[in-house]
Amino acid sequence: MIKTAQDMKSYKKQLKEALADKFLRSALDNFNTAYRENRPIVYEGVDFEGLKNEIAAGKDAALPHLIEMFEEFKAKAEAVGAKVHTAKDAREANQIIAAIAKDNRVKKIIKAKSMTAEETFLNDHLEKEGFTVTETDLGEWIIQLRGEGPSHMVMPAIHLSRYQVGDLFAEVTREKQESENIDKLVKVARKQLRPAYLEADMGISGANFAIAESGALGLVTNEGNMRLVTTFPKVHVALVGYDKLIPDLKSMFRILKVLPRNATGQAITSYVTWIKGAVECASSPGSRKEMHIVFLDNGRLALAKDPVFSESLRCIRCGACANVCPIYSKVGGHKYGHVYIGAIGLILTLFYHGRENGRAIVRNCINCQACKEVCPVDIDLPHLIKKTHGVILHQEGKKPVKNFLLSTVMKNRKLFHFILRKAYLAQKPLAGKEPMIRHLPHFFGKEHRFRSVPVISKIPFRDQWQQIRPQVVEPKYNIALFVGCAIDFIYPEQARALLKLLKGRGVQVEFPMDQSCCGLPLLAAAEEETAKDVALQNLRAMHAGSYDYILTLCASCGSHLKHNYLKMFKSDPDAPENLKQFTDKIIDFSSFMANVLNISAKEFKAAPQKVAYHSPCHLCRGLQVTEEPRRLIEIAGYEYVPSKDEDVCCGFGGSYSVDFPEISSEILKKKLDNVQDSDARLLVTDCPGCVIQLRGGMDKRETKIQVRHIAEVIAEALK
Amino acid sequence: MKNPDLIQQMRERAEAVQAIVSIIGTMKDACQYAVAITKKQGGRTVVAAGLKTKEQDYLKNECESSGLRLLEFPLRPHANEIHTSLTIVDGGVAETGTLVLDSTSEDVRIATMLAETHVAVLPALKIKPDTTALENELNAVLKADVPSYTAFITGASRTADIERVLAIGVHGPQELHILIMEENKA
Repeated sequence: MIKTAQDMKSYKKQLKEALADKFLRSALDNFNTAYRENRPIVYEGVDFEGLKNEIAAGKDAALPHLIEMFEEFKAKAEAVGAKVHTAKDAREANQIIAAIAKDNRVKKIIKAKSMTAEETFLNDHLEKEGFTVTETDLGEWIIQLRGEGPSHMVMPAIHLSRYQVGDLFAEVTREKQESENIDKLVKVARKQLRPAYLEADMGISGANFAIAESGALGLVTNEGNMRLVTTFPKVHVALVGYDKLIPDLKSMFRILKVLPRNATGQAITSYVTWIKGAVECASSPGSRKEMHIVFLDNGRLALAKDPVFSESLRCIRCGACANVCPIYSKVGGHKYGHVYIGAIGLILTLFYHGRENGRAIVRNCINCQACKEVCPVDIDLPHLIKKTHGVILHQEGKKPVKNFLLSTVMKNRKLFHFILRKAYLAQKPLAGKEPMIRHLPHFFGKEHRFRSVPVISKIPFRDQWQQIRPQVVEPKYNIALFVGCAIDFIYPEQARALLKLLKGRGVQVEFPMDQSCCGLPLLAAAEEETAKDVALQNLRAMHAGSYDYILTLCASCGSHLKHNYLKMFKSDPDAPENLKQFTDKIIDFSSFMANVLNISAKEFKAAPQKVAYHSPCHLCRGLQVTEEPRRLIEIAGYEYVPSKDEDVCCGFGGSYSVDFPEISSEILKKKLDNVQDSDARLLVTDCPGCVIQLRGGMDKRETKIQVRHIAEVIAEALK
Repeated sequence: MKNPDLIQQMRERAEAVQAIVSIIGTMKDACQYAVAITKKQGGRTVVAAGLKTKEQDYLKNECESSGLRLLEFPLRPHANEIHTSLTIVDGGVAETGTLVLDSTSEDVRIATMLAETHVAVLPALKIKPDTTALENELNAVLKADVPSYTAFITGASRTADIERVLAIGVHGPQELHILIMEENKA
């Protein structure tokens, strides 16, 4: 049975249990790494970006015509003997299928893997109606025998070890199993399930595609069970979501280029099958298959019309959003989705299974954008997860206190900054003269002690500005510095390092005083209205028209300013006029130094220090800047030493690390282990948020590798 | 791409997914291959689909002289005893090492789904570079107003459902042998 937490307290309890499952952790961690390493090989010679854009555009063009495509499909399929049904919800779909079974005097049913049937809990319904249902996909069979839901959309039993499977098969066969030998376990399933195909009266499958122009179903499989399920029994029922409708074969072939690659790293699966109409079937009274296709709505048709969420219907169920998710790899699919797993599951659960099941899991996104990057249909998953969270908060009508406080304080920059200044006084007794708070007061739970916490700076950057403001005669570039809260109030030295680097290069820097928080923490808390309010304050404050660039040292601020500002005002008639001008001018530190100023190695002293690099999520995926920081490190004379998983999240995610400290700490642990393995003495990154996390974590370790912002280490290497 | 290059690519891509590929000249070679592999694997039965009467007779003789049984259609009664199935496929896709097989006939389906070993004869001239080149042909089949069951087959059946470890031969054939038939070489 699926037991999705319906409140945060029980969710946190579940997460704790999941984190304690050592097999799960190592299996999924290895999977995450292996998947990402293998991906470039799998996509060699394939234009992923091009295909992704084409498929997304094709899906978007088709979505407004779902009903027309359905009608076309139905006419074509029925002309060759299929019977096409429609079900408005899960219950109706299950009832239709049970009725077909009754009409045909079915006793035994075999099933091929279908996420849509998982969505409707079809097996439960059919079993209650007295039918025997046997899953035949190996993973599905395993979890059916265990009475579990899938923990991955493609590999449903990925949470289990061979020994668990071996014990299960020993029970089923009443014979001892050699669990070590996976090949032998697979053969057990082969042998056990063979008779089931021959005995069954009805086979149920899903479908990956319903091709409108021909009325054929397209199915993408590997094990060969679906082919048997659709061949032997006299009845075949395919349960298909409306979202599986595509106009033509060309669209299917296009998706077929990415689906197997993304899902299992294959160029193509063992079998791709097209079934059209009632084919020959000797076990059926009329020698023709009794063929039924049930189209499931269950919210899809409304979703197709939604200006924001229709994007989620592009999903082709490849499962990759889970494969690359640092959180999925720590807690597994049973804690990272309801029926649908991974980032897409955090969204679809609200629409297909109600907000009770969606409300806790939807908060468990760190916004690292790894899923968005691999999504083959270009769904902006992290963005939609926040939107989903916003819908749930709105529907529930009562917001968490945190949201209320955050929203109230952030709307008012002066109040927010006043509080930050007061925080300096409050923390003083805890930190003493140290730059870190190493022992948090006891009202913070011990789960928060995985990192030391930086102290608020005595004099924020904004208060230092008047004294340090550079004056440049006839500047080559006029830039505005968007400093961001973390540098302004915690690490002003990072901005000062920038000023040191810019000296003598003809760059006039301004620091517009009315700039506030970028607003990302508000979006992270699904407070979009206040986030927009703050955005407007910044747009007014920054006077984009007066500058060549708006430079930021914070990757998270940068990608939020550049991309989310546009997204937030996308269909807003009151969108400020200078919005595009503003977002176009946003640039990160490394790109500015390396590409605009073209700084050269001659200016730096050789500093033969080994430097590891952490690539911030919002820089490498958010702003798509990957090469410049690494180049900069080398220009400045350091020895850049690559470490494993440089572009994997550090586990910070702003308030995420406070809301889910146990997961944050596990992600951080892996990151720091990788850095330690690289034999670097210095870890460099270009986001003050990552610095908080990495430095705080490193401070708790014996080996104290220094963690610095890239601006600082580059400035220090100047001759 | 020229045919020899297509054959080469077909071969490489199919081998990359554990298919066993050979080049043959005639259907006689294919029949001998099917019989030999059955004997080698200790199988006792062969079934063939798509053969001409003369070829079928030849195969029957070959089987009998090797102590094997050539199963006859319909195959449902033989569902539990099919060892080798010999089929002539309708096309190949070099890009992925894929075979295309019209499986509308139930016996063709049973033969290729339940066999332990599937031996597929692929006429060299029917190899297409990619799915785009196959689109019109397949569309003609799909759009025709008759029921159809069409299969792309790439390698033997497989799974990675237990610990993500690749295992070949789950519910479908455990081995796929592709015999690329270059008739002019006969």
